[in-house]
Amino acid sequence: MSIALAEPPFAAEELAPLGALLARATAGQRRWLAGYVAGFDAALAAPTAAPAAPAAPPRPKLTILYATESGNAESIAAALRRDATRRGFAVRLRDAADTLPGELSDAGTLLVVASTWGDGEAPQRAAGFVTALEAADAPSLAGLRFAVLALGDRAYARFCATGRLIDARLAALGAERLAPLAECDVDFASPAATWSAARLSALATADAAPSDAASDRVIHVDFAGAATASRQAPAGVAVSELINLNSSRSDRRTWHVELDLAGIGLAYEPGDAIGVWPRNAPALVEAVLAAAGVPAEADLTESLASRYDLTTVTVPQVETIAQLSADSSLAALAADARAFAAWRADRQLVDLLALADRKLTAAQLVSLLRPLAPRLYSVASSRKLVGDAAHLLVAEVAWESHGRARRGVASGMLADTRPGEEVRVFVQPNRHFRLPGEAGRPVIMIGPGTGVAPFRGFLQEMEATGEKRPSWLFFGARRFHHDFLYQTEWQDWLRSGLLTRLDLAFSRDQPERVYVQHRIWESREALSGWIRDCASIYVCGDAAGMAKDVHAMLARILGADGDEQLSALARSGRYQRDVY
Amino acid sequence: MTTSARSRNEEIKEASRFLRGSIASGLEQTATGAIAEDDTQLVKFHGMYQQDDRDLRPERLRKKVEKAYSFMVRLRIPGGEMTPAQWLAASRVARERGNATLRLTTRQTIQFHGLLKGNLRPALRTLHADLLDSIAACGDVNRNVIATTNPAQSASRAAGVELARRLSDHLLPRSRAWHEIWIDGEQVTGGEAEDEPILGGTYLPRKFKIAIAVPPVNDVDVFAHDLGFIAIEENGVPVGYDVVIGGGMGMTHGEPDTFPRVGDVIGFCSPQEAVALAEHVVTIQRDWGDRADRRHARLKYTIERVGLARFVEELAVRHGRRLAPARPYSFVSNGDRLGWVEGEDGLWHYGLFVENGRIADHPGAPWLTTLETIAHRHRGAFLLTANQNLVIAGVPAGEREDIDAILDAAGLTRPGALRRNAMACVALPTCGLALAESERFLPTLVTDLERLLTRHGLDGQAMTIRMTGCPNGCARPYLAEIGLVGRGPGLYNLYLGGAFDGSRLNRLVGTDLDREAILAALDPLFAAYARERRDEERFSDFLIRTDRVAPLPEGPEAARP
Repeated sequence: MSIALAEPPFAAEELAPLGALLARATAGQRRWLAGYVAGFDAALAAPTAAPAAPAAPPRPKLTILYATESGNAESIAAALRRDATRRGFAVRLRDAADTLPGELSDAGTLLVVASTWGDGEAPQRAAGFVTALEAADAPSLAGLRFAVLALGDRAYARFCATGRLIDARLAALGAERLAPLAECDVDFASPAATWSAARLSALATADAAPSDAASDRVIHVDFAGAATASRQAPAGVAVSELINLNSSRSDRRTWHVELDLAGIGLAYEPGDAIGVWPRNAPALVEAVLAAAGVPAEADLTESLASRYDLTTVTVPQVETIAQLSADSSLAALAADARAFAAWRADRQLVDLLALADRKLTAAQLVSLLRPLAPRLYSVASSRKLVGDAAHLLVAEVAWESHGRARRGVASGMLADTRPGEEVRVFVQPNRHFRLPGEAGRPVIMIGPGTGVAPFRGFLQEMEATGEKRPSWLFFGARRFHHDFLYQTEWQDWLRSGLLTRLDLAFSRDQPERVYVQHRIWESREALSGWIRDCASIYVCGDAAGMAKDVHAMLARILGADGDEQLSALARSGRYQRDVY
Repeated sequence: MTTSARSRNEEIKEASRFLRGSIASGLEQTATGAIAEDDTQLVKFHGMYQQDDRDLRPERLRKKVEKAYSFMVRLRIPGGEMTPAQWLAASRVARERGNATLRLTTRQTIQFHGLLKGNLRPALRTLHADLLDSIAACGDVNRNVIATTNPAQSASRAAGVELARRLSDHLLPRSRAWHEIWIDGEQVTGGEAEDEPILGGTYLPRKFKIAIAVPPVNDVDVFAHDLGFIAIEENGVPVGYDVVIGGGMGMTHGEPDTFPRVGDVIGFCSPQEAVALAEHVVTIQRDWGDRADRRHARLKYTIERVGLARFVEELAVRHGRRLAPARPYSFVSNGDRLGWVEGEDGLWHYGLFVENGRIADHPGAPWLTTLETIAHRHRGAFLLTANQNLVIAGVPAGEREDIDAILDAAGLTRPGALRRNAMACVALPTCGLALAESERFLPTLVTDLERLLTRHGLDGQAMTIRMTGCPNGCARPYLAEIGLVGRGPGLYNLYLGGAFDGSRLNRLVGTDLDREAILAALDPLFAAYARERRDEERFSDFLIRTDRVAPLPEGPEAARP
C-alpha cells in the first residue's frame, strides 16, 4: 500500500513536532507510526485519496503471472510487482490458479514465475492453466512478449519442468521471448532478485518508462515488511514447550512445538506456514567430512552446519564425483533419470561422498554443496487464542538405510531442542488456505497425521472469535492408543459443539487397513449434503498418497463429473489443499 | 431393605432395561476409547471389563490423550471344553483384535486383553460364528460353570461338562441385550417384553460361582465356590453329587468382616435334580443376599448372616424336599495332571503347563502359533483347566507322536514342580484393582524359590504357590500352601499352611513383605522342612504338624493373623 503526498497538508508549525518525533525515532518506531496512521484512517473509513496528481502519460502495462505451491513463486511475484510499480509500470498480478491462457493474449508484456513441485508436476492449483496451455486448441498468443523464471529443485529428476513447459508453450503459441528461460534451484532468493531487476531494467529501457516526477515523491509504506521476519531475515524465537504427542509405544514421534513470540512481530493466520531454518546435526557434519576426507576445521564445520544442504543428492553432484573418480558407473547413474531416482530414494550426500575414490579438498566439497533450505510447517495454532505463541506439529523423520541412521534435518533439530533454546523462523503466508470469509459457512477438514495441524489452528480461531459454523474433521493415524494427536482437544471441542463431527481412521487397529478416504466414502451421503450446503473442503497432509486418494474419493462421491466439480470448487475457493 | 440403602450398582442394574443401558450409543462415540461410567458396570454382564493400560497412565495427560482404554473380554465356556475350530477362532480374534495373547483363567475360560472399543463387535461376531459367547462371563450373575478336566476319568468328566452346560444355560440371563448390542447391531422392535424369572430384574447381589469336581482330583477347588458339586461315582459313572455351598475367596484388606470361606457339604443330589437345586440356591441368594454392601454380598456372607441351618431349611422348602445325606469322597490333589494320560476311553490326553495361563508367541516359544498348528490337525478337544493349563484331549494313540513333535519343535519347556503348581492373576498393567504386580512378578519369584529349594535339597518338591495383585482372590491364594496377596507396589502379605489338595485355608503369617523378605521368611522353613519332614509329607502339613503355622478356624477368623 502506498500513500502519495503532493503538498504537505499541514502548516509548518503543525509539522514541527512530527519532524522532531521522527528525528529521534528508531526505524521500528517510524514503521509503527506509518502503520498507525494508515490504520487510523482505515478505522475512520476516511478517504485516503490523494490530491489529484498532474496528468501523466499512460504507464506501460505489465502482467505478472505466478504458479505457486508453497508460496515462494507468489512471494517473488509480489516483490516483482512492488518494484515494477515503483518503476512506474501499470502492473496486474495474476495467479495461474485463476487464469486461462486466452486471458493473456492482450496482456502485452508478461513475466512468469513458476515453481515445479513433487517429481516435476505443476503446482496443483495451477494444473488447470498448464493443461490448457498444453492443449491442442490453446489460443494464439501472438503479440505477447514474455520471460519466464522457473523455480525447481535439482534433487528431483524433472528439474524446473513446469517453468520449462510454460516457456516452451508460450513461444509455440506465437509469443515473443524477451529473455531466455531462467532456472533457479532451492537457493532461489538471490538469482530471482537478479532476474527481476534485470527484466524490469530491460523493459524500462525498451518501453522508455517515464520516470514520473510524482513517483519520486511517493512514500511507500510496506505493511507486509513491517517488523515481520522474512525468509531472508528470520527471527530468533525460543522454543517454550516440546512434547512428543505419540505414546512411548508408538513407532513414530510427532512433536508439538510451542514457539514463544512475545515481543516478536511474527504475524500469522491459521493456514499459514512457519518456515524453520535448520542446522545440520554435528554428527552429520562429521560424517560428511569423514566421507569426503576433509579435516574438520572449526570454520568449515560451522559453515557446513549452518549454510549447506548435507543430505540431498543431486545429479550435478553425482556427475562431479563421477568425474573426480573417473567412475563410469556413477556417470551412467547420473545420466539415467529413472535409475538415479531409485538410487537416491534411500541415499544421501554422505553415501555419494563415500563412493569417491580420493579425498576431496575443502573447496571441492563446498563447491559441491547447495545452500540449506528452510522447512515449512503448517501452523497449528491461532494467535487469537494462544496469544504470543505459535504451535507447530512436527513429524520426526528418522530411518535407517545402507547401515546409516538418518534423520530429518529440521525435525531432528527441533526434536533435540531444549525449552528455552532459539530457532530461526519466518512466516510463509498461505492465503489459499483460509477459513471461509462468509460467516456460518460449513467446513470439512481432512487432515490425517500432521495434516491435522492447520485444523487445530482453524478451530482455535473459531473458539477465540466465537464464530459458529458447522465443522467436520477427518483424522487418521496408525493406532488409536498411540498416535491420536491432540485427542483430548478434539473431545473438548466436540463436547462444546465447536466441532460438529469427527470421523477417525486408524489403519493398524484391525486386520483391514482403514484410511480417511474410507471414512469419507462411508459418510458420502452426509458429505454430499454438506457440500450442497456450501461447505468448504480442506485437505492437508501427504500429497503423494493421501491427498490423491482423498481427491479420487471426493470425485467419486460427486458423480460422473466429480473432477470438474472439484475444479470448480477449487476455483471458487471451496476446495483448498495444503499438501506436501 | 430400603431403596436408599441399596448400592449404586443396584440402581444401575434396575435402570438398565435388562442390561442395555447406553452401551450401544457409547460404541458410536469414536473419539473416546471409553464408554459411559454406568455402562462400565453393565458391560460386565456382557463378559467385558473396561480397563486402561496402567503402565501408560503417567505420560498420557501431557501428551493430550485420554487414558489408554481398552476392554478385556471373557468368554463363557462351560466346563472349559472347546473344539479346535473354536480355539482357532479365539486365536484369530486375539491376533486381529486383541494384544495377540490368550489368557487362560481359573474359571476355565479365555480372556482377551487390549480390545479397542471399535473392535468389540467384530471380535464377538467372529466368536459367535463359532458358537462362542461372553454372556454373563462377568457381573452379578452365575459365572462360567467349571468342571473337572482330569482326562483319565473320561465318563465322569464328560458328565461334568454336560452338567456344566446345563447349569450355565439354565441360569443365563434371558435378556436379548447381548445379541442385540454385539451381534445383530440393533434392537429388534416389537419383541416380547423381557423378564428374568430366575435372576430377577436387578440380577444377583454379586457374582455367583459353580464348580463340579470328580474325586480324587479337586482341580476345580470345589470348596472355593458359592456352589459345588462333587461327583460320586459308581463303576466309573457319576450317580449323583455331594453339594457344597458357601465357599468363596474374596476379602478386603483392613476389613475384618470380610474373609475367604471354605464351602460346607450339605447333602447329596441326583444328576437329574442338580439344575433345579442350583436354581433354588441362586434364588435364595437373589432374595436374601446383601444389596447394600457389595463387599458382603456373596453367598458365603448370606450363610454366615442367617446361619447354615436356616439356609438349608429354606433350600428344602424351595426345592420341595431335603437332600439325602452326603456320601463319602476323597480328594488327593488340586493340581492338573501334566503330560500324556490315557483315558478310560482309550484316547490320550496331553496336559500342557501354561505359565500363568498366558498364551502368546514368546521369543523362542511360539505358543500361540504352535497351538494353532495343533488345532489345524487335531480332531479332539481343547480343555481349559481351572489351574490355567490346557489339555489337548482325545488324541488317538497313533497321533501322539505328531503332537509331541510339534510341541518339542516349538520348545515349550518342561516346567519344574514348583512352577507347575504356581498360579497368578493378571494384575498390572490391565486390572484396575491391582495394588501390586502378579503375573509379571511370580515367574521370577518362582525362579528364586526354586534356587532356595535346590539349596535345601528339595528339588522337584511340588507345592502350591499362588499370587494375586489384590485381596479379591482371583487366583485363589487363600487355598495355596504359599499364598501371596498384593498390598502395594512390590509388597505382599504372606499366607502359609493351605492344604496341597485345597481342603484347608492358609493363615496370614507376614504383612507387607518385599521380594527379599519373602525369601527370608521361607528360607528357614524350607530348611526345617528338608530336615524334619516325614515321608510324603506336604510342606503345609509339615508347617501345621510342627506348630510353625496354627491351623485356621473357618469363617470370620480366617483373615486374622
